[in-house]
Amino acid sequence: MENSNKYNRRYFLDNGLKFGLAALIGGIGLSKLASKLYGKTNTNSGDKMELMTTDGTIIEVDASEVIDVSHSKDEEIKYNLREGMPNRKFVMVIDLAKCKNALKCQDACNKHHYITGEHAWLKVYKMQEEADTAPYWMPTTCMHCDHPACVTVCPVDATFKRRDGLVLIDNERCIGCRFCMAACPYSTRVFNWKEPDYGESSEIVMHMNMAHEPHNSIEFTGMPSKIGTVDKCDFCPHAIKENELPHCVTACPNGVFYFGDKYEDTVTNGDETLRLSKLLRDKSGYRLMEGLGTKPSVFYLPPVNRLVDFKDGLDDFRNFNSVEKIN
Amino acid sequence: MLIVFGSQKSYAQSTEKNTIRLKADYFKIMNGDVYFDIKASSKIDKETVDVPNIEIFISNEIEDEEIDLGTITTNMKGECRFTLKNLNLIKQDSTNTYNINFTFKGNSNFKKASKSVSFKDAIIIADLIKKDSLNFIKATLIDVSTNTPLSDRLLNVQVQRLFRPLRIGPEFNTTDENGTIIVSIIDEIPGVNGILTFEVVLKDSDDYGTVKSMVKAPIGIPIVDESTFDKRTMWSPRNKTPYLLLIFPNLLILTLWGLIIYLIINLYKISKSKFKNHENN
Amino acid sequence: MEVSQKLIDDLAPKKFGRKGVIWTISLIIISIAGIIAYIDQVIKGQVVTNMNDYALWGIYISNFVFFVATSFVGAVTVAVLRLTNNSWRTPVVRIAEIISLASIIMAGLTIMIDMGRPDRLLYLFIHGRMQSPIIWDVIIIPTYIVICFLLLYFPLLPDLAILKNHFSKTNPKLSKWYGKLSLNWTGSEQQKKIQIKSIHIIAILIIPAGFILQTVDAWLFSTLFRVGWDSTNLGAYFISGASVAGVGALVTVVYVIRRTNKLEEYITDYHFDKLGKFLVLTCLIYLYFNINEYVIPEFTSKKEEISHLNHLYSGQYAPLFWFVIIGGLIIPVIVLLFKKGRKPLPMFYVGLLVVIGSWWKRFLIVTPTLLQPFLPIQGVPESWHHYFPSFHEWIITFATLAMALLIITFLVRYLPVIPIQRTADEQEETEISKSKISKTVKP
Repeated sequence: MENSNKYNRRYFLDNGLKFGLAALIGGIGLSKLASKLYGKTNTNSGDKMELMTTDGTIIEVDASEVIDVSHSKDEEIKYNLREGMPNRKFVMVIDLAKCKNALKCQDACNKHHYITGEHAWLKVYKMQEEADTAPYWMPTTCMHCDHPACVTVCPVDATFKRRDGLVLIDNERCIGCRFCMAACPYSTRVFNWKEPDYGESSEIVMHMNMAHEPHNSIEFTGMPSKIGTVDKCDFCPHAIKENELPHCVTACPNGVFYFGDKYEDTVTNGDETLRLSKLLRDKSGYRLMEGLGTKPSVFYLPPVNRLVDFKDGLDDFRNFNSVEKIN
Repeated sequence: MLIVFGSQKSYAQSTEKNTIRLKADYFKIMNGDVYFDIKASSKIDKETVDVPNIEIFISNEIEDEEIDLGTITTNMKGECRFTLKNLNLIKQDSTNTYNINFTFKGNSNFKKASKSVSFKDAIIIADLIKKDSLNFIKATLIDVSTNTPLSDRLLNVQVQRLFRPLRIGPEFNTTDENGTIIVSIIDEIPGVNGILTFEVVLKDSDDYGTVKSMVKAPIGIPIVDESTFDKRTMWSPRNKTPYLLLIFPNLLILTLWGLIIYLIINLYKISKSKFKNHENN
Repeated sequence: MEVSQKLIDDLAPKKFGRKGVIWTISLIIISIAGIIAYIDQVIKGQVVTNMNDYALWGIYISNFVFFVATSFVGAVTVAVLRLTNNSWRTPVVRIAEIISLASIIMAGLTIMIDMGRPDRLLYLFIHGRMQSPIIWDVIIIPTYIVICFLLLYFPLLPDLAILKNHFSKTNPKLSKWYGKLSLNWTGSEQQKKIQIKSIHIIAILIIPAGFILQTVDAWLFSTLFRVGWDSTNLGAYFISGASVAGVGALVTVVYVIRRTNKLEEYITDYHFDKLGKFLVLTCLIYLYFNINEYVIPEFTSKKEEISHLNHLYSGQYAPLFWFVIIGGLIIPVIVLLFKKGRKPLPMFYVGLLVVIGSWWKRFLIVTPTLLQPFLPIQGVPESWHHYFPSFHEWIITFATLAMALLIITFLVRYLPVIPIQRTADEQEETEISKSKISKTVKP
């Protein structure tokens, strides 16, 4: 395909620069790795420190033995990765009144999932149903449907629906038949037609970032992607289990994405935290292609009382590529 | 020439050292830890980047003395948390104020930087009250050193949720002359097993830092798992296939293959019946 | 029961002449080219095709559907004609069985070419989910392969025994093979009883198996939401289409074999006339379904339906669509409605048109729908809005067709294409009934 030549040239130029920084990267990388693994609270050795154990007793330990560990808010509940987090049902609300095609969500998603290829997982569509109806920008992620057409047709159980609502892909199981892609009415799935090309430096960084995680491909879609398998938006389980919002939510400068737990009836875009039921009621939330019966987990708020003009986003419209080649 | 490496956080290679901006905030959790959240960032090439892996020295300043409390190193995001079990481990000065200094001694890339945090000890006593079958959160803010309530302060009342807490009641709750606020809990709020954790927070005050008190109350609506995960559906894994799909296709397969096997046996019979024929001859 | 020597000499398989050898070698070359292209695909990934995230199924799938459809000829010709007592079918049944078997075997192989991870083929069996239409396909195809094989094999047994004797002096090694495969057939009462009962069972068994196979193939599409696929019509539509493709293929292959093996005495104009009428019937039924699929949606004019139909009527697929409908369906119907059109040579051309039309029809079923998703195609390269198969895809597809023809060629080379024993039996029956008639007529 003609586009690949352009990308090859760019890649070549960038590659030259990168080689020069390879040593620097290595050095930074190693120290990054070290700091993440051993975030030490150093006191003068020989000093004793008073610590409280998890059952409330106070003990004294040598200060140099203390290692700072980050905990997630809930006690470390180990759950079956195919079953998902208990007592949660994740939903997203996308406010079309605020979207002006800034595409920061797409960039963040592409970057954090190391998306190669030409097809982003998060697409911002330029929508206009008819010449008489208003145009608007519509970001779409995977809908994580409650009646997922993709899961129903998978022959080998490679894609599955979890208790917490997420629909994920096991790229160790996928046979690449693409039946799920044919089934999805939202065109949200992406296929790895060739060996994913991360580029040397990106691959190093990706593996460094993965090194400290108890890595399991199911919750780390795309890290790495496998040739001949399907990928898609995964609602960032590696982030949400640490009580961090998905990358698109935090990246959006206009507060378009709200994310939360439907059972808790609360969604947040990082700044505003609202009750989901009230938000949907007040702003008449709806779901895409409701009539198909897929029961998506992504709600849309109609583009009324717009804060921005639709035309402001036209300059950034990426009609023919949704993945900027990230080095 | 400055070489910035793509979108990764990096250092600029220049002869001039960059300045680090340290941000330090004090947090007190009632019946819990006291901690300081530190963030180191730097403006390189008009872009603000996090500064990871630098050592911050922490000390307690009292009058002329400075007591070392230890060091801490920032993580990949340039953040770190210094936790004290309680305030007894540090000393106040004569005005009943705690003064903590956070210092970065500088390295080859960055200049020295420091930040001090001064605060007094305040507590929030929060409770759930029931009045006329309605629920209220009552909270009182008290300055510990003088043991007097603090009036005219803004407190936030919220319920703990997964990503960000959800505000309860009006946006501004000002403590009255007794340092108290009362907020009614009107809506039905869902919670795991019906247990809700309410938080009363004095947020980011100049003299008392951030103080948070938590109240666990079993007044929530218990969460019901509505997922179809345990049911036999068309989208379940294979161990939960719907019964009809298990019975009928398998019956069909058995029938077809049963007949096929019968036919294959017939082939075998044909090949064996030669002998009978010969015997009869 | 005695089979005349003339019959055996006429129908026994003969060595290939020069044409036959050239034919076989060409097929082998094409097949090898395809295998090399496939290996390249396995190494580089399916990026060597022109498929993309929108045109995610291309000619590999439409080729697969074509093979599945053509394999229906066994069920249709043998079983249906048998159950309706169409005795003229005898000279063509074996060719029909051979085409069926070759097609369904190639269908099973062709679908594996489309898999992104063929190294994980076994997962279909270890981790298979009964909820998935693909698993239904995985079950029915091997079942149908076995049934087709048995359908070919049981009636073959007496002929194998005859050939064993025929070649015992001229080609002893070949004769031994025939002997082994004939399973010690002696024509005894007991063997005949088992054989007749078995054939009866297979003939009945293959009808539901064939119908299930075509329907499951249709359900690969109609269990999805997409416009053009989400049709309640699709199961019957595919069964009807399979009849057309199968009988068309039969007509073409019968003509070729008749000429190369000089079987004009056994496959006469009468047989072509009957086959022609059969083909017209299947085409008319198929035309009925096509009207339901491609004309009636204009009535409600739903946006997506109309957009889809416009792509076919006047859009980028128009030339192909009209070729398939007119060339592959309407012209055959017109030609075959006339007695002159049902002569062997015109029927050969008609059969060829029908087969080529069938192949491209399946392409029109698979890809245009995919290039019309519910949400607009944005954010992807411009080339992703179109699909035309790549060099690799063409070579691999031709190779699969060549392999199918190779299997047919191989079976035609070594098996009697017209059942010898059965023809002899029928000739005897005709003699007996003739003599009965003459006896009752008083001089």
